[in-house]
Amino acid sequence: MTNWTLTAKKRLGTILSAETWLPTEMPEYAQGFMYMLGSLTASSFVVLILSGIVLAMNGPETWATNGLMRFTAATHFWAVQAFFFFMMLHLWRVFFTGAWRGGRGKTWLLGAIAFLVAIPTAFTGFLINGDLYSQWNAVQGKDGINAMGLGWVNLTNASQMFGMHVVVMPLVLGAVIALHITLVRLKSVVPPYPTAASQSTKGVSDQ
Amino acid sequence: MKPTTDIVKQYRMVPEDFLKHLFATLGIVIGLVLLASLLFGVPEKPPLTIQTYANAHPLSFEQVSLRALDGQGRIANYGPPYNHGTGSVQSGLQTGVGILYPVNTATDFVLHPLAMTAAMNPTVKSAIATFDAAPPAVQQRWEAAYTTALTHGHVVQGTVITPAGHYGPLPSLMHGFLTLGQSGLLSGALVRNSAVTTRFDNQNYLLFLQGDPLHNDPGTQSMKGENWGIIHPAVNGYPGAWWMTIPTWIYQWPFVANAAAADALALSIGFLFWLFLAVTPWIPGWNRLPRHLGIHRLVWKTFYRSSERVGTIHRAS
Repeated sequence: MTNWTLTAKKRLGTILSAETWLPTEMPEYAQGFMYMLGSLTASSFVVLILSGIVLAMNGPETWATNGLMRFTAATHFWAVQAFFFFMMLHLWRVFFTGAWRGGRGKTWLLGAIAFLVAIPTAFTGFLINGDLYSQWNAVQGKDGINAMGLGWVNLTNASQMFGMHVVVMPLVLGAVIALHITLVRLKSVVPPYPTAASQSTKGVSDQ
Repeated sequence: MKPTTDIVKQYRMVPEDFLKHLFATLGIVIGLVLLASLLFGVPEKPPLTIQTYANAHPLSFEQVSLRALDGQGRIANYGPPYNHGTGSVQSGLQTGVGILYPVNTATDFVLHPLAMTAAMNPTVKSAIATFDAAPPAVQQRWEAAYTTALTHGHVVQGTVITPAGHYGPLPSLMHGFLTLGQSGLLSGALVRNSAVTTRFDNQNYLLFLQGDPLHNDPGTQSMKGENWGIIHPAVNGYPGAWWMTIPTWIYQWPFVANAAAADALALSIGFLFWLFLAVTPWIPGWNRLPRHLGIHRLVWKTFYRSSERVGTIHRAS
């Protein structure tokens, strides 16, 4: 019977290695602002987690009444905007460069799942703020959720949404993002398309 | 691995400080977020409270409350997950979930909160006793008559005045309920749970306001579905949930907008859009589109220039 520990040790040895996570060189094509977009998205997620921890520690009532918490809520709000903004730019970049080539389909799929999961993650956050936007989106959104057979997710119950937003959704989203980045590190970023000028030269890749 | 023919194989590796790269992006985001927070704050509009609504619109408040009492309101006849109604059932999936969060609007929204005030208000106590003692047919006759009366009602100093008629105890009940709403205590009565001291579940507070009160509120008009509302913020000038643009656009399609199951349709079609995006790598033709679009030439402009100079780009297709 397979030794689970040995198998895990062997695989994780590569996955968790400093070589994987702390590269000191990059492909020459992976330079410039276009190759910062993924990191900017991940950085926005880090800012969301940090500001979210401060908000969660103090409780929803303080977000509307305490000056410092209102400011923290503002950073959380703008970090969400930054997260989706950079994620969208990153999505365009990876689409227009055909980033799924060379056996990177799973990396693309995980990125798409991260985008999908990020939507309810943000939405549940809006629902626990207690302002008019929260109120409106809870009562309006419930019809769609109920219609899809997800009625146990009670958008009008702020405590359930608090648990979803503070624990469940960030854990799921964080895990998907972590897997996505792990695959990016293991397989590196996709090389460019060959140009027409070089069609006559040989050099089929084996990715 | 399966051979591919659309990837440059030869390229150089150049020195990189990955940690510096990560801290740089983190620094950029922190800087942008702090700047935006300092300059613009957080966009929020005060919520619509029951007390605000009862004081601003006593007549509408009584109409909303009466629909909760007589079972004509939207939540009263909603269906799963709240009750056995059929008014808002959009799919078999919704029905299959069953009654998870039971709501009887007559008792939960109106009669139970009123019963709590009865100890302090003898008029309400006798009105509830009269209402409870009447046969359902009589209750319905009173409710129908009072519904009509409210359409001719007017407000004097925060109290609803209706033409004289045979409404049974309803004027006393509704007046007592309006007073409860105007006092600000109704919200507490709606979220109470005698089993625990915490007040985590605000479902009934929101459901009570979900119809006319919120739909007629000036602050929600730009957020209505027919106005591309999902992507609109409550405070104009701020960004909203713009990442929901495609589902919001689908909601505008006439056959979706006019369907009884608009939400089920819009979200299902929206999911198909996402699915198409998610399986892009495996859709023949579509997965080769970026190569023909040529935008990659701009992304890799520097690489192509330097590579063509030294003749290291290879291609086999």
